[in-house]
Amino acid sequence: MIKDLLKYLLQFLVLVLAQLLIFNNIELSGYINPYIYVLFVLLLPFEVPRVVLIAGSFILGLVIDLFMGTPGVHSTATVFMAFARPMVLALFSPREGYQTGTLPRIDHFGLEWFVKYTVTLVLLHHFTLFYLEVLTLHHFLSTFLRALLSSLLTSLILIISQYFIFRK
Amino acid sequence: MRNLLRFIVQHHFLILFLLIESFSLFLLFSANPYQRVHFYNYSHSLSGRISIRMENIKDYFSLRNENRKLAEENAQLYNRLESSFTRIEPDTDRKGDSLTTRTYQYLTARVINNSINKQFNYLTLDKGKMSNIQPEMAVIGSEGIVGIVKSVSDNYSSVLSVLNRDFTVSAKIKKNGYFGPMRWNGNNPEYATLVDIPHHVNIEAGDTLVTSGFGGVFPEGYHIGIISEFRLKGGNYYEIRVKLSTDYRKLNYVQVIRNLARNEIDSLENLNSP
Repeated sequence: MIKDLLKYLLQFLVLVLAQLLIFNNIELSGYINPYIYVLFVLLLPFEVPRVVLIAGSFILGLVIDLFMGTPGVHSTATVFMAFARPMVLALFSPREGYQTGTLPRIDHFGLEWFVKYTVTLVLLHHFTLFYLEVLTLHHFLSTFLRALLSSLLTSLILIISQYFIFRK
Repeated sequence: MRNLLRFIVQHHFLILFLLIESFSLFLLFSANPYQRVHFYNYSHSLSGRISIRMENIKDYFSLRNENRKLAEENAQLYNRLESSFTRIEPDTDRKGDSLTTRTYQYLTARVINNSINKQFNYLTLDKGKMSNIQPEMAVIGSEGIVGIVKSVSDNYSSVLSVLNRDFTVSAKIKKNGYFGPMRWNGNNPEYATLVDIPHHVNIEAGDTLVTSGFGGVFPEGYHIGIISEFRLKGGNYYEIRVKLSTDYRKLNYVQVIRNLARNEIDSLENLNSP
């Protein structure tokens, strides 16, 4: 139990640092910014109490906000994504349900399941995030494009990284 | 009462979500630009150390470029030295008088945090109140204007970047002196838009834009960029796409400009407004 807690705390730290130090410096033609810290929310176990899920996501978003100087933007998007997670999980649930002892990871449920799960939640997160950031429908199309392309890049990075982290 | 409790227990996830989400949205909407900068300053005191380390590493990679730019700037400055001119008016000996007092003072600072991919971008410099930096001072780089100091803490200052949708500067077409407000439109970090140039003015792609000096923040004549394309908007005014001369991705060292006459001008202009 304590071991698990430490594991997730470490994950939290590593993801926040990776986002701030590496991925915030990646920017392709001003359009595409990957936000990979959402992996933390994706990888929380199925049985995590919903209170912890929401609170954890809020703290994650707030920490990112604090370092990026954007009050409320990332926390709103991340909490929204955490709220949607149980529904997305139910939507893509395999026929026999999620067995106890399994985790929402690529080595437990396969590539196809993980792609569907990741892309859906990342899209939800990024669209909320990008529209909250501009706070206007003025540049609707360009924001749409930025959100879409960034979601695809984030998903791609997350999916590929899974093969490195959870090698069989 | 029991029903209410049961309702809360049943829907605790939804209720919790709504509570936390409205708190986040409250944070988002209650922050006006001023508070935003303070939030940024505060968060910066947390992340300042990490940013400085990162910048130290990044400095190494850009050393070659910085050296080249410094060498170029040196050459320019040498060109202005008295020793590179010959005096040809030996009959009167002129001394500096009250007409030639210094108006602008320059201070070098390092950029320790910078973004270009948001809609409201800010930079953080490694000097603040202790180095006599105050809000509303102009910031320029070696290639052109960079921004305006928005708020300062003891050791850091936060600069409203040109790449911020709240930033406006009065830009002048160098060859004929017509001027208008220039803004960034939030898309491409290499281009901005200049408006309010009347249609009879003769402009061409490639014309140079400099600061007009109005508003008292930027001294006159600093490079902004060049005209890349233009079209008539509404028949009377041009809308001009400006290729910015500074590459905001690679900012490293900048100059903060202090206008020594600022107080005097301000207090004079305040006399006009009741």
